[in-house]
Amino acid sequence: MNSDYINIALADDDEDDRLFFTEAFEELKIKSKVLLFKDGIELMEYLNDSNNTLPNLLFLDLNMPKKSGLECLKDIKSAKRLRGMAIAIYSTSASEEDIENTFVKGANVYIKKPNDFEKLKKVLSEVVTTNWQYHTSGLNKDNFLLRL
Amino acid sequence: MPTPSSRYLRTAFVVGLFVILCIGGFTYKHISELSQTSKVVKDNYSLRSELELIISNLKDAEIGHRGFLLTHDSLFLNPYNESLQKITNNLSRLDTLIVPSGEQVEKLKELKSDIASRFKNFDKSFSLAEDDAILSQDLLFLLHEGEIKMDRIRTDITEMLELEQRLLIHNQEINEAKRGLTPLLFYGLLIVTLIILLLAYFKMTKDLKALKENNVELEIFEKLTKQSEIVSNTSTWVWYIEENEFEFSDNLYRLLGEEPQSFEPTLENFYKYVHEEDINHLGQQVNMMMREEELPFTKYRVVHKDGTIKHLKAYSKLMDDTEGDKKMFGVTIDITSEVENYRIIEQRNQELERTNKELSAFNYVASHDLQEPLRKIQTFMSRLEAKEKDRISESGQLYIQRMKSASARMRMLIEDLLQYSRTNTSEKEYLKTNMNMLLEHAKTELLDSIEEKQAKIICDDLPTMEVISFQIQQLFINLISNSLKYSKEEVPPIIEITHEEVRSRDVEQIKESLYKFHHKITFMDNGIGFEQTYAEKIFLLFNRLHGKSEYSGTGIGLAICKKIVENHKGVIIAEGKPNIGATFIIYLPFLK
Repeated sequence: MNSDYINIALADDDEDDRLFFTEAFEELKIKSKVLLFKDGIELMEYLNDSNNTLPNLLFLDLNMPKKSGLECLKDIKSAKRLRGMAIAIYSTSASEEDIENTFVKGANVYIKKPNDFEKLKKVLSEVVTTNWQYHTSGLNKDNFLLRL
Repeated sequence: MPTPSSRYLRTAFVVGLFVILCIGGFTYKHISELSQTSKVVKDNYSLRSELELIISNLKDAEIGHRGFLLTHDSLFLNPYNESLQKITNNLSRLDTLIVPSGEQVEKLKELKSDIASRFKNFDKSFSLAEDDAILSQDLLFLLHEGEIKMDRIRTDITEMLELEQRLLIHNQEINEAKRGLTPLLFYGLLIVTLIILLLAYFKMTKDLKALKENNVELEIFEKLTKQSEIVSNTSTWVWYIEENEFEFSDNLYRLLGEEPQSFEPTLENFYKYVHEEDINHLGQQVNMMMREEELPFTKYRVVHKDGTIKHLKAYSKLMDDTEGDKKMFGVTIDITSEVENYRIIEQRNQELERTNKELSAFNYVASHDLQEPLRKIQTFMSRLEAKEKDRISESGQLYIQRMKSASARMRMLIEDLLQYSRTNTSEKEYLKTNMNMLLEHAKTELLDSIEEKQAKIICDDLPTMEVISFQIQQLFINLISNSLKYSKEEVPPIIEITHEEVRSRDVEQIKESLYKFHHKITFMDNGIGFEQTYAEKIFLLFNRLHGKSEYSGTGIGLAICKKIVENHKGVIIAEGKPNIGATFIIYLPFLK
């Protein structure tokens, strides 16, 4: 794989959200390769196959059939090979409970799905351009939820 | 302790007994004295007759003597000898009859010697007469002498009789003197006894009357107790510890579904009614009661013969009465309705809990599932607007704008509704919080609109209070944004926030509060205000005073405010003057 590309993965059961997501990256003109998964099982199968390249950044929806985003997060953080992957929670709800849980389990950022396409583009570009390797040190609960 | 009245009766009885014994003693003494006196009198008469017999016997002896002297016939000697014998007997009887001391003894001695010398005289004359057949000079002399001696004897006897008479009279005088007071004493004692008896009688009737009254009161009390036991579903029982016997009140039988006193009050009979699951526990408690002489509150069930199950609660305590008998007084109460009520409340609580769960499930549906399609509509519209703008006609673009504002409004409604239901959540953690900090957070949250409207917020120093912090922050946000929203056009809003502590009884709206002191926080603005008549209406859910197009708003914000204040056991009041401004006053109690 060409290292100029950022490998981005999205696990979301919602077809429309996957469409918005890919369209946003197309318009952003960021050199990226977007992988899409329809549920948690599909995602984990891909990640657990050591032949596959791991994405640089994983966007994870919480409410998915078969295997929820939270379960995926738990599995990823307990697998040595996957632990270093930056994870952005990408969810409709922003309930205190969900934010708290995913923060504790080690997600890097929490994005509430915006209701405007322009805002979506802005959020995604912000997240993608952040260097999560360095950012983790300053991570705290107050700036965990991304506000724009 | 004997009561005063019983002590009085006892004294009366003892005194009466004593008096009767006294009378008996005196009577005995008196009678024995009387019999003694009559003996003395009898002796006296015997003595007199003996003395007279002596004289008559002496005369017989003399007649015999004379006859012999005249006839020398020995036939006359017989009466003489008989008389001699009789006189000897008389004298020996006199010895026993006379009082063994005093004058009479001397007299008797004299008499005896005179009689003896008289007989000597007789003997002498007999011997003379035998020698001479005729009356000699000597004999005549002797006869003369005999006559003198006879006179002396007569004198002796007369003296003795007189003396005896005197003794008798003297004796009678002494006895009379002795007996003189006795009848009076008897009479007096009798009177005293009678008085004592009368007093005792009156006392007894009085006591009896009091006792009767007490009995009537007791009877009334007993009836009342029985009534109250029936009304309040309680019963009583007594355990006589020494005898190990029980006594059950009528209502205890009724609590067991039986007629009063229909079986013998024993533990065995009682256990027959106890629910089999509770019998072990109750048995243990009763055994402990027997050992420790106290029964703590014990609950158990009993089963009536018709199968009805009742819940009972028993308690008892040891009482020592004045006689030192140990008794345990117990109370058994039917708590079936309490238990039933408790069960109903429990059930309702469970229902409530379930409803609450359903409600929070609804919250989640509202927050997630409803927002999702809405978000997509909005996103697609923004796509349509951006990508296809050139190809849509002017009216089409207007429709898009309308759709956008409608969906924005829908989003706001959903979010506000969520906010409103969140104020219901059970997570109510009261923490000491600095209110200034909460106000700062609220201002930060509203920074955009504050800057946009060029609003000025003037604020007192607020205290630290025990509150649910996220709710109070929401309250501040809602109140400030309310003021910003309903500000006058072209006039920059000024919001003044003040604080003071008030005494609850000084303020009309919180006069009845359980808390003595309240914090009073006032939000005053210079906005469009409102008619005072709407002051209460504005807190109602979905209630709006203005058209949607004039002022954006869902009619939920102030309802949330009211709910939050009520969660904190406080009161919120609105005061408004059209075109001058609105004032919101919050009273929050000091939670201590």
